[in-house]
Amino acid sequence: MSVVPVLELIDVSRRFGGLRAVDGVTLSLGRGISAIIGPNGAGKTTLFNLISGLLPPSAGRIQLHGQDITHLKAHARARLGMARTLQIKSVFPALSVYENVWIAARQRYRPLDPFGLWRRDRATAAEAEAALEEVGLTGCADMAAGSLSYGDVARLEIAMALAQRPSLLLLDEPVCGMSPAETEQAVALIRRIGERTDVVIIEHDMEVVFGLAERIVVLAQGRVLADGPPAAIAADPAVQEAYLGQGEDEEEAVHG
Amino acid sequence: MLANLATLALNGLAWGLIVALIALGLSIIFGLLDVINVAHGDLFMVGGVLAWTAVETTGSFAAALVVVPLLGMALGLATERFAIRPILRNPALTIVSTFGLSLILQEAVRATFGPAPRRLMAPLPGTLPVFGTNYEIYRLAAAVAAALALAAFFLFQQRTRFGTWMRAVRHDRETALTLGIPVARVQLLTFALGAALALLGGVIAAPITTVDFRAGVEILPACFMAVVIGGLGNLPGTAAAAVLLAVTEGVVSGLSDPTAARITSLCLMSAVLLLRPQGLFAGAAR
Repeated sequence: MSVVPVLELIDVSRRFGGLRAVDGVTLSLGRGISAIIGPNGAGKTTLFNLISGLLPPSAGRIQLHGQDITHLKAHARARLGMARTLQIKSVFPALSVYENVWIAARQRYRPLDPFGLWRRDRATAAEAEAALEEVGLTGCADMAAGSLSYGDVARLEIAMALAQRPSLLLLDEPVCGMSPAETEQAVALIRRIGERTDVVIIEHDMEVVFGLAERIVVLAQGRVLADGPPAAIAADPAVQEAYLGQGEDEEEAVHG
Repeated sequence: MLANLATLALNGLAWGLIVALIALGLSIIFGLLDVINVAHGDLFMVGGVLAWTAVETTGSFAAALVVVPLLGMALGLATERFAIRPILRNPALTIVSTFGLSLILQEAVRATFGPAPRRLMAPLPGTLPVFGTNYEIYRLAAAVAAALALAAFFLFQQRTRFGTWMRAVRHDRETALTLGIPVARVQLLTFALGAALALLGGVIAAPITTVDFRAGVEILPACFMAVVIGGLGNLPGTAAAAVLLAVTEGVVSGLSDPTAARITSLCLMSAVLLLRPQGLFAGAAR
C-alpha cells in the first residue's frame, strides 16, 4: 500500500489477569471518520485506552502515521497530534471555559517561557478563541466550566480537542447521555470536523455511527468481528447476530 | 491598653503573613503532589539559618533576601527529585520520607550552625509611632514583604502559563496529562516553589524571632492549622486563616498567656472541622 495508514494496530492485546479484554486486534484505519462499535464488554473502551495511551498493551504494536507509538504515554501521543475526548467528561470544572480551551491549545507550543503572561500569548489565544467559535461556546468563555450544562461540557471537550489541532481525533461515546437535540448538533459538528481531520469514534448509538462513519469496525469479545463500509457491516450476518440483533439489554444500554 | 492591643494585633498580622507563606507552600505541595511535607517547617528554619549565615558573611540582608529563596528552590528541586519522585505513587510513604528529611535538616543545622539560638539584628532599625506606641519598623516591613510575596504568588498563579497549569494539575492530574501538560515537571517546580516560599519566610522572620534549629518544629502546627481552617486547596483561604490565627493567638496570649492562645486556635480548628470541614472559606474562592 502506498498510503501510510493514519492509525495501525498490529496484533494488539490487553489482558487484565485472566481476562483478554482486547485479543489480537489488527486494524488499519485510513482517512475520514471511522467508527469502532461493539456490544457491551466487547473491549471498546479498553481498545480506546490502548490507542490513546492510557493503558499499555500486553502485546502488539500501535502506529500513528507510520510511527511506532506503542510505548509512548498519553501526553506524548497528544503531542504527536492525537487528541481525544472521554466518555466521562473531563474538563477542569474550577477553571473558566476559556482557560480550559487555552490549556488544550497551549500544548502545541512547547513551554519555552512558562512564566510569560498567558493573556499575551496571542497565537494560543487565537486558537483557543477559534475553537470556542467552532463549537459555539464563545458566549460562555468566562463561565466556570463546572457551571455548564451536560451538552455544553461535551462541546467544550470537543473544542479542547480541536484546539490541539489534532491530526487524529478520538471520540469516546461523544453523544452518550445527550438529548436528541444535543445529539443532532453534536453529529453535525463531528461531520464538519471530519471534513478536515481524521476521526475515530467509539460509540454505542447505531444511528449516530451509521450516519457518520465511512468505515466501521465491529468488535466482539475483544476481537475484530467485521470491518468495512456501513452498508457491508449492516448486511453482515455475524454482526447482526453479535450486535444489531441483540435483545433489550443492549437497547437499554443505548438509551439509558 | 488599646495601644497594647494594637501592637499585639500588628505582631500577629506580621507573623500571620509569614506563616501564610509557609502554609501556602504546604498547601500547593499537597494539592499537586498529594505529599504532606513534614519537613516544610524545617525548610523555614533552614531559611532563617541561611539568612543568618548570609548576613554574617556578606553583611547584607538584601543579599540574603535574594539568594536564600533561590537556594530554597534548588533544595526543593533536589528533594523532589531524590526523596519524593521515586515514591510518589505511594503518598503514605512520602510522610516517612519527608520526616526523614526533617530530621536530616535539623541535625545538619545542629552539627554546623550549632544548637544555641542566635539573633539576627533587624536590617531596618528604629521605630514608628503607631496607635500611640513605638512600633518596630522592621516588623511592618516584614508584613509588607510577606504580603507582597503572597500577592505575587497569586498573580503568578492566575496570570502565567505555568500558574494556569498548576491550577489544572491541582484539579485533575489525569486530564492535565492527556492535554499535554508536563505534569511531572509542574509537580517538580511546584515543590521547588513551595520550598522557596518556606525559605523566604525564614529569611523574613529571622530578625523577628531567634534563629534556632528547632524553629521548624514550632511553626509547622500553625501552618497545618492554617491549611485546615482555610480549606485544603483553597489558597486565599489558607492565607486568610494564617493571619486570622496569628492575630487571635497574638491578642489572646497578650491578654492571658501563650497556652490559652494555642488552646483558642485548637478550639477554632476543631470547630471548623466539625462545622465546616471544607474550610472556613469554602465557596468563597476557587
